[in-house]
Amino acid sequence: MLQCSGVTVRFGGLVPLDGVDLHVPDRGLFLVVGPNGAGKTTLLNVISRLVTPSAGSVRFAGRDLLALEPSALLYAGIARSFQKAELFVGLSALDNVLVGLDHRRVPERAARMRALGMLEALGLGGVAHVTAGTLPHGYQKLVDLARALVSEPKLLLLDEPLAGVTAAEIPTLLRAIRDAARDRAVLMIEHHLELVLELAERVTVLDFGRTIAEGPPETIRRDPAVIRSYLGGKAVEHAW
Amino acid sequence: MSILPQIVLSGLAQGSLYALAALGIVLIFNAGGIVNFAQGAMAVVTAYATWGLLNGAHVPYPLAVALALGAAFALGVATEMLVLRRVADAPPLTQIVVTLGLLMLLTGLVGIVFGHDPRSLPELVTLPSISLGSLILVPSEGFDLAVLIVLVAALMLLLRRTKLGLGMRALSQDRFAARLAGISLTRVLSLTWGIGVALAGAAGILAVPSTTLTPATMDTLVIYGFVAAVFGGFGTLSGAIVGGLLLGVVDNLIKTYLAPELSLSVVFALLLLALYVRPNGLFGRAVVRKV
Amino acid sequence: MVSSAVLSFARSERFALLALVLAIAFPIACGFRTYPLFIAAQFAVFAMVALSLDVLMGRSGQISLGHAGFFALGAYAAAILSARFDVDLLAGAIAGAALAALGSLIVGLPATRLSGHYLGIVTLGFGVAVAQIALKWTALTNGDEGVHVRTIHLAGIVLSSPLHVYAVAFVALAAVAVFAARLPRTRLGRAFAAVRDSEIAAAAMGISVARTKVTAFVISAAIAGAAGALYAALTGFVAPEDFGISQSLLFFAMVVVGGTASTAGTLLGALVLDAVSQGAATVGGLSVALIGAAIVAVALFRPAGLKSLWRRGEGSR
Repeated sequence: MLQCSGVTVRFGGLVPLDGVDLHVPDRGLFLVVGPNGAGKTTLLNVISRLVTPSAGSVRFAGRDLLALEPSALLYAGIARSFQKAELFVGLSALDNVLVGLDHRRVPERAARMRALGMLEALGLGGVAHVTAGTLPHGYQKLVDLARALVSEPKLLLLDEPLAGVTAAEIPTLLRAIRDAARDRAVLMIEHHLELVLELAERVTVLDFGRTIAEGPPETIRRDPAVIRSYLGGKAVEHAW
Repeated sequence: MSILPQIVLSGLAQGSLYALAALGIVLIFNAGGIVNFAQGAMAVVTAYATWGLLNGAHVPYPLAVALALGAAFALGVATEMLVLRRVADAPPLTQIVVTLGLLMLLTGLVGIVFGHDPRSLPELVTLPSISLGSLILVPSEGFDLAVLIVLVAALMLLLRRTKLGLGMRALSQDRFAARLAGISLTRVLSLTWGIGVALAGAAGILAVPSTTLTPATMDTLVIYGFVAAVFGGFGTLSGAIVGGLLLGVVDNLIKTYLAPELSLSVVFALLLLALYVRPNGLFGRAVVRKV
Repeated sequence: MVSSAVLSFARSERFALLALVLAIAFPIACGFRTYPLFIAAQFAVFAMVALSLDVLMGRSGQISLGHAGFFALGAYAAAILSARFDVDLLAGAIAGAALAALGSLIVGLPATRLSGHYLGIVTLGFGVAVAQIALKWTALTNGDEGVHVRTIHLAGIVLSSPLHVYAVAFVALAAVAVFAARLPRTRLGRAFAAVRDSEIAAAAMGISVARTKVTAFVISAAIAGAAGALYAALTGFVAPEDFGISQSLLFFAMVVVGGTASTAGTLLGALVLDAVSQGAATVGGLSVALIGAAIVAVALFRPAGLKSLWRRGEGSR
């Protein structure tokens, strides 16, 4: 469904992405991993139209994504979460999630019910009316996820959803991600491989802006190039 | 056609005042990221101080100007130390609120102390005009330009040759590196405010003889200063100077050939147009935000 | 958490009502004399502009230092239509709102790419430019002499006494206050807040940032323009000196002192600052100095403004 071919991004002398290909089918969890600076977030930003690549193409459900405005993506069926949550800090958690429904013009009352249901499913029912900016960071990440999920996208982009989330919230979060991946494509960047690798259907490993490995988790785990570059030569089991 | 050089010349003279105003604004903006909306009110305070020294204390004119500029410098330093320092890390809106509050406070105080009757200052240079063919050289206009050149030269020396100047340049580029280099940023910032306000004060004193002095006189001058700064990209001193001079000439051309009373509106329209085409000013650079 | 949110909302409404009741009661307590009626109606008009500015600043996060410009467009449109064609106040207000909305496009369109300090400069310049045009385009505006409004009639009924205008002004203020208070609970209000808080996330949520910013400018200016039409009806006379920088800054100060993104706060701020500027008006410069000192103090010590009387732990935005 999502097809990136030869995506290259240049900022001055830097090349954060250098000819990356990526194919994401209709359903399932797809993981993009790699060391810091490998180009993961840049890739996500290209797909969500925050960064325009200097070369390559990005197609989604037969459409050229690069021809769309960032604000057209949700209408095309693509929603995303952010590494630093990027909530609307002055709005309540509930209103943040409501924004995720606003593009469909759901009647206010029905929208409130659905947004509240989404928050409750993520264990956030108790903070629905709290101003988002005052929530602890882990809660903010969950609200960010809820805001993206409630729009029922065909493709969900998650930028390190586990970063900054406390241990107590992780099972809920993982369950939500797994459920979401059941009937849609989820493209996720994550460092906590020990927690998410088993959930993933396929994994793409980036390093210095290039794809160095691609395949199902079992293969990736044993790939010598991955071990060398991403894991710094340490024993795989130990590091993961 | 023969009056065109004359118009350009007077425009440059007027533009040198805008350039001074813009320089003060940009200097302060570069150092601390704050646009001082009170710059005009501070110029008014300087001009009234000169008037007071001249007419109240009967100090000789040049000395009155020097003392008033010293007071402007002190006002700038005090403003930074007592007020702006507290909102250095606040959101832009809060900083704008503070400088607007100062604008109102100072304008109000000047009105209370000096009243609202128009005052005037004599010309600093009172030599007869010189005819050069069809061109008439007005000494006071030449003086405006000369002041700009001297002050810019002094500023360049300061920036290039002194430790304070090094600190000012460091502030505008990389605060972290400046701190590593052992430069006391707080002191540099205060002094920069002093210099910036003194520049506005100089523009104010030079502007008064050709108009009249009321608490609201400098509103226009400062808006032209802002426009000049924006034309110059709001970040470079050379941009401010070029922007100011250019604006003076453009303004004078509009006044002569189009409609004298609508000059500010036309200038404002040009500003909008420039910003619409180049949101970061004519010579500015784009800023990219990271997610 | 839920109950405290409801409680604080109720408290804010109480403060807003208190402000309104004080303003409405003032001329009644003075026995319906003309001058108190005028002062109260003028407060209602200024408060409408302050609320319109809060829609722009507090709700959508864009600054305007030239709201007197939109106010002036509305006032002149209504006054000129009344003076030349004897147009009804309702039609005048609609025309005023439309002209102000049109004017807002001039600043609103570049505003989509500007923020913070730049937008401050542009809007300040806009306000000054409008006042200057009003002063110099004498064929249309009579320049310094101003425009005298003819008999004021609203939907065919002649408003013969200040009491009538006073009543109309407060009904209009109530309508604007209800709109401003409900806005955050609508789709549009959420889009405003989204653009204010994170443009990137707003776009990711399907919100066109540019269109939303322009919409906020247009709505805000239209309200200010309608208020301007009322102002023309109230004073019966419109002149450039009513729409200078100081008037723009007064509106700005009302929002800041009251607390941005708060309808009740803005109403309270409008009441307090209007009282200060009326009370201190006899000494030249005193009211300006006081208001300046007030907003510096607010920014330094209470960034949330008067709304922090009932809301805790919020900074200014």
